[in-house]
Amino acid sequence: MLKKSINKNVPAFTLFLTLVFSLLPASISFAADVGNCLLCHKYPGLSRVDEKGKLRLLFINEDIFNTSVHAKVKCEGCHTDIQKIPHDPAKKVDCLSECHITEPSTEQKFSHKDVETSIVNSVHSKVDKNGVEKKFSEDIPTCKECHDEPLYRPMSFFKTIRSGISEEAMSRCKSCHKKDDFIFRFYSHVTSRLHRTKNPLNIAEMCGRCHDNAELVARHKLSTRAAFSYGETFHGKAARFLDERIPDCLDCHINKGESVHQILSSTDPKASINENNRGKICATTDCHPQASPRLAKYSVHAEFNLEQSPVQYFFTFFFIVLTGGTLLPLMGIIFLDLLRRLFPNAVIKRRK
Amino acid sequence: MLNILKKLYILAFMALTIFFMIIIWKVTFAQIIEEYHTRQEAIEFAKIKQQQKPEKEKTAFEKLVLEGDEKVKLYLGYRVLEETRIKGHFHHIGFDIGPDKRSYCNTCHGDMPHDDVKELRAFLNMHAFFIACQTCHVKLEGSKKTGIYKWYDRTTGEIVDSPVKKYRPGTYKAKIVPFESVNGKLVRLDSQENSEFVQEFREKEKTLTEVQRSRAKKMIHEIVSKQPVICENCHQKEAPLLPLADLGYPKERIDAITSTEVVGMIKNYTQFYMPRMLHPGEGSKKD
Repeated sequence: MLKKSINKNVPAFTLFLTLVFSLLPASISFAADVGNCLLCHKYPGLSRVDEKGKLRLLFINEDIFNTSVHAKVKCEGCHTDIQKIPHDPAKKVDCLSECHITEPSTEQKFSHKDVETSIVNSVHSKVDKNGVEKKFSEDIPTCKECHDEPLYRPMSFFKTIRSGISEEAMSRCKSCHKKDDFIFRFYSHVTSRLHRTKNPLNIAEMCGRCHDNAELVARHKLSTRAAFSYGETFHGKAARFLDERIPDCLDCHINKGESVHQILSSTDPKASINENNRGKICATTDCHPQASPRLAKYSVHAEFNLEQSPVQYFFTFFFIVLTGGTLLPLMGIIFLDLLRRLFPNAVIKRRK
Repeated sequence: MLNILKKLYILAFMALTIFFMIIIWKVTFAQIIEEYHTRQEAIEFAKIKQQQKPEKEKTAFEKLVLEGDEKVKLYLGYRVLEETRIKGHFHHIGFDIGPDKRSYCNTCHGDMPHDDVKELRAFLNMHAFFIACQTCHVKLEGSKKTGIYKWYDRTTGEIVDSPVKKYRPGTYKAKIVPFESVNGKLVRLDSQENSEFVQEFREKEKTLTEVQRSRAKKMIHEIVSKQPVICENCHQKEAPLLPLADLGYPKERIDAITSTEVVGMIKNYTQFYMPRMLHPGEGSKKD
């Protein structure tokens, strides 16, 4: 239903959204730039190649930044070492630092500190349960390996479900709230949080940056190229068609209600993908509520590979041979029949 | 006539049959063959590993340049954001301007040519994004000086109308280039002749002797002035070097460029860093 409603009236809808989003940044003040950092950082050429040969792009795209979840955060909220202009080369941002805004439910300063706890307890921790650094810990992702600037993905639930901002809903907000900036952010924040801030394809691509890296897969003795094998499934193929309803990596690898940062190893008894828990994954209310636990026993990450999945390999092999072995001769016979129709009287003379 | 049409009809069907046969082959037996080869390669790879033959190390160029970035599409529902993803970069870029294909300086010095003075290199590179090297590094004098500057397209190299009013500051797909007077004619400093000379030098560089290479470099850099144009030459109200109005800058942009905000910032930089900027190379020694 979601997909249908998205596809409906696409041109008019796209035009409307283009208008809304082209007008919004102009009407919304860039509240976070009190230090006038954009005086310099609005220029895309503000860049350098550092001593290690790494590109340092210091450009901030104001239009895009204004539609990001951090748009209200002052630059120095994250770049805490910058106190004056001209400033010295900025230090690396610590995402866990207490920062910028007050968290309204606790009225305490906001921080991503809790994420660290989730990560430490997850398979992506740099240390094992005994606190000893894991082998190849340099491969373990840091914040920026998975996260670029998170952008709002607002949804409209007014009469229909579609992506983007609902003008009707906005007008209802305006009857009580006066500041456009506040309404836009509150609306975008809430509706973006009602679904994923990345679509399934982007999530699979994000995980695939490491989990499809052949060297990394071999080094950590992982059983599959995870995003690649996901792409071979019906779910993965639907993701490629930008279907928002289908499960992505996070839907199966995280226990319902827990932080997306707390992905556990399949050997962990608490993990959603542990052999004893796997049956519950598919049978959730949102996916296949009537499904038997046995549905989850199929090899999701099977590749067409004799060593990794021999049973699936031979099944696939059989059906490939059956399909090719049937259709190719059929096509050959049709071709010969057409050839006869083209040259009805042609004969190959035999030598007497 | 009818017979010919019938034959053509059959021929079209035959072509279609072959087309389907190719597709069926690709999705069936070709898959098996591909999988077989992949498996053989994996076995070979494992053998090499077992024999502990050192894996071919990636070159610095591959690591730093080729693996640097990838094109990504972010599906936001209401729009698709297509951009270059730079590994480890947090903020979104949102567009891709592409390299300057006209500049012959960039063939050696790159699109981010400034790196000597640590505190200023990003600023200088920012300007190099929409100002040709010759604008600051060549000071024309006498009869050659024209005071004429024009915009050229980064991709085609052609002289184009001012893009200033169409785009946000600095996001132009064009750069400013100065013109000199040669025998009474206006000639752009990054002329085709100069460009071809540099291209030929690059092609033959490896075959040249030390002396020949040195001579060629001297000739290429002959017009480069010892002291480049400095910030205050443009960022001033009285007589900015660049004819900003002629280059299509509206009054409010000219006011911004020559504003106290920008000029004040430059003064701060002058106080802290500028002396080093005027002596390229010293910055890197200090770092």
